[in-house]
Amino acid sequence: MTRRVRRWVLAVGGAGLAALLVAACPALPPFGGATHPYGDRVVHESLARQTANTIASVNFDQRAFDTLGELGILFASVIGTVVLLRQTRDERRAAPEPAAVSLPVRRYALIVLPVALLTGLYVVAHGQLSPGGGFQGGVVAATALHLLYLGADYRALENVRPIGLYEVGDALAASGYLVTGFAGLLGGTAFLANTLLPYGTFNTLASGGTVPLLNAAIGMEVACAVVVLLARFLDQAVEIEKESGS
Amino acid sequence: MNHLLPLLVAAPLLGAALLVAGGRRLPRAVAEPVGCVVSAGTAALAIVLLLNSSPPLVEWVGGWAPKDGESVGIVLVGDGPGLGMAALASLLTLAALVYSWRYFDEPPRRHAGSFPALMLLFQTGMCGFAVAGDLFDAFVFFELMSVVAYALTGHRVEEAKAVQGALTFGVVNSLGAYAMLLGIALLYARTGELAMVKIGRGLDAHGGPDALTLAAFVLVLTGLLVKAAAVPFHFWLPDAHAVAPTPVCMLLSGVLVEMGAYGVWRVYGTVFDGPGGIPAADVERALVVLGVLTGLVGAVMCWYQRHIKRLLAYSTVAHMGLFVIGIGSLTPEADDGTALYILGHAGVKAALFACTGILLDRYGSVDEHALYGRARSLRGVAVLFVLGALGLAGLPPFGTGLGKAVTEEAVGGPLSVVFVVVSAVTAGAVLRVAAHVFLGAGPEPRDVSAYETTGIREEPETRHRLSRVPDTMTVVPALLLAGSLAVGAVPGVARLVGHAVSEAGSGGAFTSPHWTPAGVLLGLLSTVLALGLAALAVSRPEPFGEQPWTEPLRRLQSGHIGDYVAWTLAGATLLGALALPGILS
Repeated sequence: MTRRVRRWVLAVGGAGLAALLVAACPALPPFGGATHPYGDRVVHESLARQTANTIASVNFDQRAFDTLGELGILFASVIGTVVLLRQTRDERRAAPEPAAVSLPVRRYALIVLPVALLTGLYVVAHGQLSPGGGFQGGVVAATALHLLYLGADYRALENVRPIGLYEVGDALAASGYLVTGFAGLLGGTAFLANTLLPYGTFNTLASGGTVPLLNAAIGMEVACAVVVLLARFLDQAVEIEKESGS
Repeated sequence: MNHLLPLLVAAPLLGAALLVAGGRRLPRAVAEPVGCVVSAGTAALAIVLLLNSSPPLVEWVGGWAPKDGESVGIVLVGDGPGLGMAALASLLTLAALVYSWRYFDEPPRRHAGSFPALMLLFQTGMCGFAVAGDLFDAFVFFELMSVVAYALTGHRVEEAKAVQGALTFGVVNSLGAYAMLLGIALLYARTGELAMVKIGRGLDAHGGPDALTLAAFVLVLTGLLVKAAAVPFHFWLPDAHAVAPTPVCMLLSGVLVEMGAYGVWRVYGTVFDGPGGIPAADVERALVVLGVLTGLVGAVMCWYQRHIKRLLAYSTVAHMGLFVIGIGSLTPEADDGTALYILGHAGVKAALFACTGILLDRYGSVDEHALYGRARSLRGVAVLFVLGALGLAGLPPFGTGLGKAVTEEAVGGPLSVVFVVVSAVTAGAVLRVAAHVFLGAGPEPRDVSAYETTGIREEPETRHRLSRVPDTMTVVPALLLAGSLAVGAVPGVARLVGHAVSEAGSGGAFTSPHWTPAGVLLGLLSTVLALGLAALAVSRPEPFGEQPWTEPLRRLQSGHIGDYVAWTLAGATLLGALALPGILS
């Protein structure tokens, strides 16, 4: 298609869709209303199981099966990335040159690294109590490691980051989530049923039954997945080169 | 029994996780059989559940059964069509895994388990989508199967076009997924529910359809129709099929796109079919118009391809048009026919791709012209290929023939002409390829058009060009064809399918699809037409070759992602316009 035709098709399609959405908006419930039938039910069920963070209760208890699907998506993205960004026949590895890092950057990165790592772990560990949880904390912890790349150099990062282990960790975390689900089926009532462990005391680390377990599994999975994903992209950017003459 | 429903998702996912965890130590000779065993186990589970699915199984995951009619959990529905699709997806995954036994040249270093793991994840996504009774849960597994499909399509990253095809696939399908998510959000805003049945009741309780209902309908269906490759959402499909490894094509064409059609059936039947949804006449108009358009465009484009994988991909587009017509005519008989047609088509189409894979790995080409007369020695493959083509035409007693006959009878009139024409033209194109490639019939085809995708200089997917075809690569298509034949020929299969579909559908009336004299005659007519078209095309290439009037249509398949995005938006608008009268009255 010529640019002109493409623009026309896009304009007609976009205008039609925009008109549809604009027409639908006035029919939406007004913002800030007082009735939240689903929210009320969710909070009620969350409190009944001593889970202080309702979002965690939705993610890891009430709709834990969706989270299993999301875990699958992240896991599939990692394998997909490993497969697509592999070193192919016409590529070779070149050792990256160490680069000079200015002192303030180096100091800052090295000071912030443990703080960021600890913050990530804290966010994971308190997922069932306060905002955050495995998804968010996992990303924070994984990115913390990459401060080494900014503060020192690529080889320092590679030393703390044996990719193979993280890939295995990713798979084991996914298996852990599934095994908790199976345990619910075998020992309790249904797949992913949160009936095996005591619900504990409200607003303590061990409350919520299997919620902390599933939350931890997701935290580990996300942290490992982000490390592997970033490593594959960094590999392509820093190490893998096209073989000359091919 | 219903407690086992979530295992359709959990089992293959666990298999994939263990393959990745152990994949660094496992040799390939262990990883691939493990993949097959897990896939086969899941298939067996799906079949056992399917045999127990009357009355339909319902499972609240995590034991969140409703209290006072309200639940915060996720419901899985194991009825005949859902478990049937899960079983079909599982069996095809198994077939593709067996077919690709020791197949790929270069598994990523120390990741021997990655390909079987991705196939198992694909199976996970499709099974999860098939049994989802919750709209958001359906979306999650819909995304899972898409993500895996992008990665599998781009598997041969050494070739730039593989990356391009996978990127197009990813962009267009992600756009569809965003539309679907937006639609789900609108439905949630209106009803405060995510379980499909509850959303439907919520819409009914609110009163007649309005602009929000229409917008949600258009957005959700856009996502599903992108997957179902309905025109004008179809552009990604030929580009992805042309570059995807053959075992992946078997899954994409055999069951992935059909999942889109299944989703349309499921979502319309549970969410939008009440008085608060979209009126039946408008849904019928929208789906039948898109279906006819899809069937005709697919058939014309199929006829003018010489890249065999692209040709088969367009035949899938054409047949998806027929399935969308069947679903869109909203009668229990047409639903039965479409279900049978999808089952029969899956076997036939996967077998045709499997045969094409043999050509690719033996001769390093999937080009009809370049392969002219070169495959004379592959007699067994030739027989399978021709049988597949006849199945595509709907020759009785193939399952495709029965499904087509039942649907034709249900839709009646001019629409049944579309069925005959589309199946005859697509099968004729495949038979033409068979005559050129396996027999060397007619004059050698000449290259006439510059604007054409050839299939020459393709890299074989096996380590070396095959000198001898491995048994697994011929046994799999033979079994797939036998399966397709069994759907139509074994008495009782059709009755079971009919019973399962009617029990799950909103119709309630039990139907019993069967062969009728008129159906057999129409099937024979399509087959004779297909044979005639192929014979004419081979003997008189001129009037059946390149036509100037098809040029604009072919230029639309430009490979430019921007074009495809524009068409996707335009398609959503078209869908909205077709369904608009329902909310105005």
